[in-house]
Amino acid sequence: MTQRLTLTGALALALLAGAVAPANAAPKPVASAANAIPRDAAGHPDFSGIWQTLSEADYDLEPHAGRRDAPPSAGVVEGDVIPYLPAALEHRKKNFAGRTNDDPRLRCFVLGVPRGVYYPAPFQILQRAEDLTLVHQFGNQVRVIHKDGSLHPEELHKEQWLGDNRAHWEGDTLVNDVTDVNDETWLDRAGNYHSEKLHVVERWQFVDKDTIQYRATLDDAKVFSRPWTVEVLLNRRRDANFRLIEDYCYTFEYADHYPHRDGPQKGGQ
Amino acid sequence: MKKNILIAWAALAVATPVIAQAPQAQDQAPRQGQRQGQGGGLSRERSFPAIASGPWNGQRTADGQPDVAGFYSNTIGNHSNFTDPQGRQPGGNERAPLGPRSERAPSRVSDPADGQIPYLPAARALQEDFAKNFSNPVKARYVEPLARCAPAGVPKSFMWHGFEIRQYPGSVLFWFDSGWRLIHLDNGKPLPEQIKLWNGDSHGHWEGNTLVVNVTNNNGKALFGRQGDFMSENATVVERFIFQPDGQRFNYVATFTDPTVYSRPWTATIPVRRFTAQDKPDGWHFDVHAVNAPGQPLRYEHDERICAENNGGFGGGAVGVPGEGVLIAR
Repeated sequence: MTQRLTLTGALALALLAGAVAPANAAPKPVASAANAIPRDAAGHPDFSGIWQTLSEADYDLEPHAGRRDAPPSAGVVEGDVIPYLPAALEHRKKNFAGRTNDDPRLRCFVLGVPRGVYYPAPFQILQRAEDLTLVHQFGNQVRVIHKDGSLHPEELHKEQWLGDNRAHWEGDTLVNDVTDVNDETWLDRAGNYHSEKLHVVERWQFVDKDTIQYRATLDDAKVFSRPWTVEVLLNRRRDANFRLIEDYCYTFEYADHYPHRDGPQKGGQ
Repeated sequence: MKKNILIAWAALAVATPVIAQAPQAQDQAPRQGQRQGQGGGLSRERSFPAIASGPWNGQRTADGQPDVAGFYSNTIGNHSNFTDPQGRQPGGNERAPLGPRSERAPSRVSDPADGQIPYLPAARALQEDFAKNFSNPVKARYVEPLARCAPAGVPKSFMWHGFEIRQYPGSVLFWFDSGWRLIHLDNGKPLPEQIKLWNGDSHGHWEGNTLVVNVTNNNGKALFGRQGDFMSENATVVERFIFQPDGQRFNYVATFTDPTVYSRPWTATIPVRRFTAQDKPDGWHFDVHAVNAPGQPLRYEHDERICAENNGGFGGGAVGVPGEGVLIAR
């Protein structure tokens, strides 16, 4: 019974995928009334909601067979290979070798852009006319994407964890330009990385009312030989009464000392 | 650039016992445009108006909430001293109090009338022990959690740096320099009681000019400030954000109930005012910069609020984020 249901579901999914997305092509927006995408008062797409990827992107952006710390994946990089400069590729190999200790995620650091989007934890988009606020469950990081017609600051030297985000609409696609980031974040658990010169252009677009196609083009002259693009789908979390639960994981190192406790090793209060 | 900061913090954390012997030199170091004069510009009002709950006749959001979005900060002082907001922090050498007690802002404890938190004896002893050791934190439990980038929690978030309120259909977002809270405007069930959180779980509704919020699932870890005042994981809090008719101020009035720590429920009151484009950015209450929008009226925005960007040396001299070591396996 279960197996039959699963097969039926798989068949339905395959048919749906075939209908929506021909092989090797990005899913195209669906325009049926039943699937009408939510829109704000101005008629723009309204991305409000809680989203999470089903993809394996965070394990390794590039194609890889299954290994101890990663499920297999055909990868999410257009063209399959991240175009590292030779020295940068060596650095990436070093990162890969040390990934079980060196990945900044393991200290619950802010994941950066675009990694926070495809890390496998939910995040909530809160949308107003002038901006999108992305609140991530992981580490409780908050990113504001300004779409009020403002420009990047004239002086870009802050090297923020989540960069400076300025967006505009191109039809139903929100195009966000991200710059002035720091070099503290990785792009995945496999040690793919960038420098503070990273410039990201994100494209957010509904596939249907419960699915966002997310594309990010990364440009970094210190690390990559040319711009390259990742693409993942983001699925609306539709579990009953689903909401984010605070996850300040960077406090785990010291949280047991409060309130007024000596911590678990000494028995606490 | 950020790596240097983290490494410097790690070094300071290692050197904590030594650093902690010195006066809080780093605490005195002014950041650009802040902390001028007595009280660092943090402590402004010595008294403040009561605001009555009542109808709201001002602007409303599309979903009918009173429109209160914007920048805010408290008007009487920071988290150095909960019951004497313009008094000294424990150890007392950061700055002199603003005149005699009778001329300083009242205790944040508005009930009971004596201005003191009605601790049970064992809880009072824990608070006093923290205060006694704050300036020389020889054990981890005496380090101010905020100094380690912990979220400021309830109610400390409202008396630390300035913060922002954003409103959405069905929710209100408080965005602090250290953490955020999303108030669910519903009658939804709190999270299961096994889940305890730095900022708790918040469900609220509007009554006229007042946002009423029930805060459950508290973990009690954030503390209320440098004197070590606290609640436990058994506490529940009912917050009332009572907005002035012109929307320029609100009073935060919160009642704390915790039979394992207090002999009776008690109430805190924290006065808060709005900051607008008419105010000068000051790096503490209103740490903003002008939006780059040529041809448009001046408006301000805040940079990202990531602790590593903001933190300075404080917390009794013990500083540092957890920069080393693996904390999670997921």
